[in-house]
Amino acid sequence: MASVQVSLPLPVLPEGWAGEKDFKAIGHLSHATDRNIEPVGPHFLAHARRKRHKRTFSEDDR
Amino acid sequence: MSPEKDPAQRVAIGISFGNSYSSIAFTTGEGKAEVIANEDGDRQIPSILSYVEGEELHGGQAKAQLVRNATNTVAYFRDFLGKEFKSIDPSPCHQSAHPVQHDSTVAFNIRDTPEEKENAVTVADITTRHLKRLRISASDYLGKHVNSAVITVPTNFSDAQKDALNKAAKAAGIEVLQFISEPVAAVLAYDARPDAKQADKIVVVADLGGTRSDVAVIASRGGIYTVLATIHDYEVSGFQLDQVLMDHFSKEFMKKHKTGGDPRENDRSLAKLKLECEAVKKALSIGSSANFSVESLAGGLDFTATINRSRYELLASKHFAAFARLVTHAVEKAQLDPLDISEVILAGGNSHTPKTASAVQNAFPESTKVLAPSTSTTAINPNELSVRGAAIQASLIQEFELEDIEQSTHPMVTVTPHLSHAVGVLCISGDESTGVFHAIVDAETPLPVRRTALIATPREGGDVLIKLCEGARHIKVTKPEPKAKQAKDDSDDDSDDESDDEEELREKTWKVGKVLSEAALRGLKKGAKVEVQINIGADLNVNCIFREVGGKGGVRGLLSGPKSQQNGSA
Ligand SMILES: Nc1ncnc2c1ncn2[C@@H]1O[C@H](COP(=O)(O)OP(=O)(O)OP(=O)(O)O)[C@@H](O)[C@H]1O
Ligand SMILES: [Mg+2]
Repeated sequence: MASVQVSLPLPVLPEGWAGEKDFKAIGHLSHATDRNIEPVGPHFLAHARRKRHKRTFSEDDR
Repeated sequence: MSPEKDPAQRVAIGISFGNSYSSIAFTTGEGKAEVIANEDGDRQIPSILSYVEGEELHGGQAKAQLVRNATNTVAYFRDFLGKEFKSIDPSPCHQSAHPVQHDSTVAFNIRDTPEEKENAVTVADITTRHLKRLRISASDYLGKHVNSAVITVPTNFSDAQKDALNKAAKAAGIEVLQFISEPVAAVLAYDARPDAKQADKIVVVADLGGTRSDVAVIASRGGIYTVLATIHDYEVSGFQLDQVLMDHFSKEFMKKHKTGGDPRENDRSLAKLKLECEAVKKALSIGSSANFSVESLAGGLDFTATINRSRYELLASKHFAAFARLVTHAVEKAQLDPLDISEVILAGGNSHTPKTASAVQNAFPESTKVLAPSTSTTAINPNELSVRGAAIQASLIQEFELEDIEQSTHPMVTVTPHLSHAVGVLCISGDESTGVFHAIVDAETPLPVRRTALIATPREGGDVLIKLCEGARHIKVTKPEPKAKQAKDDSDDDSDDESDDEEELREKTWKVGKVLSEAALRGLKKGAKVEVQINIGADLNVNCIFREVGGKGGVRGLLSGPKSQQNGSA
């Protein structure tokens, strides 16, 4: 996938903002919905390979 | 190992098998799908078999027999496969061999041998004979013994139907490597084009076939497809469009020949009428007018006439409107808005009709691209979408062991958590009420997923806040300003007041949802860009990396998934 391009600028860091190693975890993702993906096309095959061999994206890249 | 089970000896093609037409295609060494013409030169091969003194005719030759030899001609049978007699709708077969009950299945009583007697030939056997003819046509064309295929089926084809088709194919010498659904094959046909750009989008495939229409709403995320909603309709169909023309020309005929009778009331006349009207309909897809010409249409009288396209469009307008409505219903069923739809792929033969495409285009905003011959110069022939997709899929999997294919298509692999909300960043302001949400990963994206975004920074560079949030798509509706009454002429009556008719402005915007995390990047250069990489696992753990493009270091963040992981409903 090509990168998503965002042309609007990021906000300026508020005065006094602090976080451990400059990161603050705040919330969790909402629950996901289970759906069936179609077993069709080259990208599905890559997905199936990762899932069956329990590999991550970066392991797959290598 | 039998040749078709040994991947090394496989010769695989794509097959689309419709009630009205079938097609065969293969993928070249360069990875391009090509549709094969049969020995009659047809790429759209009527799914029809006919028997004349024991000789089997197929395709276009069999279709021509609908006039003289209707009772020994079997047509429109695909949807009967794997079904009980009591659950089928036999109406498409009114003018050909009628389906009858046969044990627990459906059969046709036809004289398929030189003998006088009729045999009950099951729909499974008819299918085998049809597929065998397709296999032979493909083998002759390729000069190789075709022994396996990917076959497309509608999204509502049951397991019993697939089972029956699988057996029928096997009996025809075809190992089915995989069944794939027709709309997904259509999306694949477009995505496999060399110039296709991969993008996250919602695509609607709207298929107006001969006996039915089918609509599917599909989320396409990084080249992976998820069907969100489907609709099937057996009332809105190409048959209905043919019927409009049949009624029109019958009336014209009766006006001209008071004594000829109604061609719709005599079987042979009706059959001639129908064949010619389908041809007229096809001619009207390209030309602005078309000729109707049938020798001895009824009462021994020849009939010729012309019709122009606008007349036809007017006569059939309610059917085009019904089709467009079906498409928007499917979008509603997926709980989406027309503004969410990036593309509508028009499939099925009747998508050649310009009015089919314009009716659909009118039901969607301008931002929705309608892919049909009359609306897009780069559209793929709607008749060929399914079979092209099937041929591409066949080339992708033909070297796999059947067992591997089965494992990969198992729900263990295909059932996948999908994001319920988009995930993205706040731009301009870190405040949820004034910041502008920009999605990086869209809702309905299957997990795991990895996405990267490049984001602009304030003009002077410096320190920035990267606030990761969930976002919900929101349709913002702006009512038009009521027009100021013109002061100089008060005598205007109400008919001038058109503000009620003016269209409201509808836009796709975002509502900022849950805040997930904040991160800081400091000391950015002037004009710097920030790269955000988001990895979301199937367990909803989020792993992200924020860094200045071309800069050193960066910030990493980890978020755990929600506490009590429950599966949503699919
Ligand atoms: N060029 C054309 N212009 C208009 N209509 C066409 C054209 N070509 C084919 N059709 C119509 O398309 C229909 C067949 O569509 P398609 O080939 O997609 O059939 P199918 O999938 O076998 O259909 P089904 O299973 O619904 O019967 C017929 O009604 C046919 O008349
Ligand atoms: Mg079809």
